[in-house]
Amino acid sequence: MRLEAHDLAFGYPENSVGRDVGLAVEPGEVLCLLGPNGCGKTTLFKTLLGLLPAQGGHVTLGSDALSALPRQEIARRIAYVPQAQSGVFPYTALDLVLMGRTAHRGLFAGPTREDRELAQRALDDLGIANLADRDVTRLSGGQRQLVLVARAIAQASPLIVMDEPTASLDFGNQVVVLTEIRRLAARGAGIVLSTHDPDHAFAIADRVALMHGGEIISNGRPADVLTSERLHTVYGVHVTIEKTSRGQVVCAPSYSR
Amino acid sequence: MLIDRRSLALGAAALMVVPRTACAAREVVDSAGRKVMLPDRIGRVFAAGGPAAVAVYVLRPDAMVGWPREVRDEEKPYVLPGVRDLPAVGMITGRGDTANVELLLKAKPDLIVDFGSTRGTFVSLADSTQSRTGITYLLIDGRFEGTATSLRLLGAMLGVAERGEALARYTEDLFTRVDNAVASVPEPSRPRVYLARGPDGLETGLKGSINTEIIERAGGRNVADGGDQRRGIANVSPEQVLLWNPDIVVTWDRNFFDRVTKRPDPVWQSVKAVAEKRVFLAPTAPFGWIDRPPSLNRLIGLAWLANIFHGAKSPFDIVKDTRAFYKLFYHVDVSDTDLGTLIAWADGRPPGMPARR
Amino acid sequence: MGGRQTTGNAGTPMSVASDLRRTDAWVMPALVLSVVVAAIVGLSAGAFPVTLDSFYRAFAKLITGVPPAAPDERVLLSIRGPRVLGGLIVGAALAGAGVVYQGLFRNPLVSPDVLGVSAGAGLGAVVGIFLSLPMIAIQGFAFIGGLTTVALVYAIAAAVQGRDPTLVLVLGGVVVGALAGAAISLLKILADPYDQLPAITFWLLGSIASMRAADVWSALPAVVLGLVPLILLRWRINVLSLGDEEARALGVEAGRIRAVVIGAATLITASVVAISGVIGWVGLVIPHIARMLVGPNFERLLPAAMLMGAAYLVLVDTLARSLGRIEVPIGILTAVVGAPFFLWLLWRGRHGWS
Repeated sequence: MRLEAHDLAFGYPENSVGRDVGLAVEPGEVLCLLGPNGCGKTTLFKTLLGLLPAQGGHVTLGSDALSALPRQEIARRIAYVPQAQSGVFPYTALDLVLMGRTAHRGLFAGPTREDRELAQRALDDLGIANLADRDVTRLSGGQRQLVLVARAIAQASPLIVMDEPTASLDFGNQVVVLTEIRRLAARGAGIVLSTHDPDHAFAIADRVALMHGGEIISNGRPADVLTSERLHTVYGVHVTIEKTSRGQVVCAPSYSR
Repeated sequence: MLIDRRSLALGAAALMVVPRTACAAREVVDSAGRKVMLPDRIGRVFAAGGPAAVAVYVLRPDAMVGWPREVRDEEKPYVLPGVRDLPAVGMITGRGDTANVELLLKAKPDLIVDFGSTRGTFVSLADSTQSRTGITYLLIDGRFEGTATSLRLLGAMLGVAERGEALARYTEDLFTRVDNAVASVPEPSRPRVYLARGPDGLETGLKGSINTEIIERAGGRNVADGGDQRRGIANVSPEQVLLWNPDIVVTWDRNFFDRVTKRPDPVWQSVKAVAEKRVFLAPTAPFGWIDRPPSLNRLIGLAWLANIFHGAKSPFDIVKDTRAFYKLFYHVDVSDTDLGTLIAWADGRPPGMPARR
Repeated sequence: MGGRQTTGNAGTPMSVASDLRRTDAWVMPALVLSVVVAAIVGLSAGAFPVTLDSFYRAFAKLITGVPPAAPDERVLLSIRGPRVLGGLIVGAALAGAGVVYQGLFRNPLVSPDVLGVSAGAGLGAVVGIFLSLPMIAIQGFAFIGGLTTVALVYAIAAAVQGRDPTLVLVLGGVVVGALAGAAISLLKILADPYDQLPAITFWLLGSIASMRAADVWSALPAVVLGLVPLILLRWRINVLSLGDEEARALGVEAGRIRAVVIGAATLITASVVAISGVIGWVGLVIPHIARMLVGPNFERLLPAAMLMGAAYLVLVDTLARSLGRIEVPIGILTAVVGAPFFLWLLWRGRHGWS
């Protein structure tokens, strides 16, 4: 299933955040969205998911226009991993992941045994099976983030949108999540995620979109998009792009004035 | 006796029509023992609450500045023409407590009269209102057994001493006749009575409370007897009423009366009074016969209850006595139709519920 | 309205060892038992003396349809029976609605009154008392008042169309509730202090003292009707409690589900407030305790809260009429019990609502 934004203008009723955005996510592809704080990444994602109405242009999921699809069908096609908040009610991690299965069940149905198995497996995949019965409000930010990723996995949708999924994770868990993202892509899912770390983009992205002032200023392969000049334009930081002896591309910022 | 009362009534009415010249300013003592200065002329009197309104209406209707609440249409035939349309001015005491002090001052009364309890809180209220407004505030005892004394006292203060005396004598006569009737009935034969208040009938007055003292005076035994000296209104459960199993139920709420008399009510039908069809509805025009408010209006109710409680042993002819009472106290010659309405009401056939004016 | 043994989720062999809190094997049966105990206590306690024999005879009359003859049979069948049954229904309804509203508004400090249903029902009843209408009309007015108020709040929220729909609803409820309260106060001043004010005050304090079988049957259909969508949509209500955005991202039509759920909860609340007056604190405190016992999963939380609410109200009411010859208005007792408990909850819940 292909996700595509056509000349998308997005924002809130009071103010427009971005315009003329065109991007596409193919099945099995990982698209990284980079951009400074406040450039509109989250707003763009919400528009891609249909949580905010587009102010111009349109979004297609597969062959259908997003605006024509009912909410449940949208959820079957595309899952959302938001930035983790503390949560109000003490659901267990397993219950929270189970909620990812809602899109696949009827209006009056609850989760089935199969749903529970899928949910448990999602937790296993991320190495947090031991959190299944824990109260999510008492988990750390990072653990909660992993639970939300597990929920998206359980949702088993061909497309996933992740809003800064590595933001509150420790180094080890960042690698876990990024690895999982690549694995999901390998199994055919199309994933778009936002990140602040160009290294992550280099590590897992098939394509990178660089966002600045509500517009996509560059869209393409990581090596083509993430040049020192562009990163300096967007972040105001001097970086050198280098290849390690193993062939991995890393981005090294300069810390001296 | 009838002639005596009639001439008294005519005389009192005549006295009332002649404008009174009030006595000169002087110091008096009210029922609470407070020494106050009565003004020269008493042309305008503010009634502090419902009971006081009745008392002032009875003695000096010409001086009333208003009613606690407006007189309803169904009550108007029983109130003097000029007075029935006086505006609502709220009350200072009673459960309403709504009179605005500014409104009070705007009414420019010469005197404020309160009729009822003379206990501590009311004394404080009287003193504070008096000092805030500069208007003399009289506290008159409203207990049933003190009615005659209070009539004489208030009558003298309002400059209608003869009228006060006449009404006091009527009251004493009434009380004597009731007491004689009651005395002739041995205690165990006196009926056990429950006063049902509110649309549920589950609110009642405890024995000794101002709301039910008329029952005890008429020779009934109030079932709501807490044993202790607690007074006042209380809510009870239907079970409690069933346990008490009164011989007679009295109420003035028309909805409640309808509910238990028109159809069998699962909760009330086992109560002895209901089963034996001894539920009685007190009229409330212009004022309640047994309460509402607890004031002089209860005098006619006393006669009515004595009849209900003691039947043949009770000496009252309700038709005649109602007519005479309304003439003497309320200053109205009740027409035959209006009297018939009252009597039918007292007999369990009230007029339809009044529409809100 | 008995308890249902819902399918446990954390107790399946697939998952890891269950939490202490979630030993649902005993919780539900215990709650059902507490309801039965409360009903027995409620039927046994009272001013009128009843014996075991009274129970047998009354039960026999009930089964065979023969009307009760002896006073003790009457007490059981016409006075205590409806009172206990009414108490169960009112308690269950208020607690159930409370659970729903707390989940919907993502705020455990919310009661069924958040959208003003009690204020509106109170206003309806006060108008009925003010017009000296018979009891059945007063109840009808209360019911309609409750429904109308929430509909009005909903209409306001729809017109305003703020960014955060739940916040707009709550604010609308505060405003309309305040208006209804002001209207009630105005009517209290205009009311006849002898005829009407005592009845108004007593109604606003809430009471199941004069509950009749007819009252119970009149409220029951609406309560059952309101329960149906809540039970059917129980999983979606869980998802909805995550917040609108997340719920929609998970495939739930947040706005529509919320409307149906609010309508159902309001129907339930309005119908019991119409027969019992305004009884506070049940819809606020019981959901909390239930959540502490069985967790926030609506599949279990709803029946648990309802069972608890039913038992609680009947026990408190039994206490209210056993304290003396005089009835203590039940709203006072629920406040006396509920408020300190709520303070304790606030203190305990410093780090989250578990």
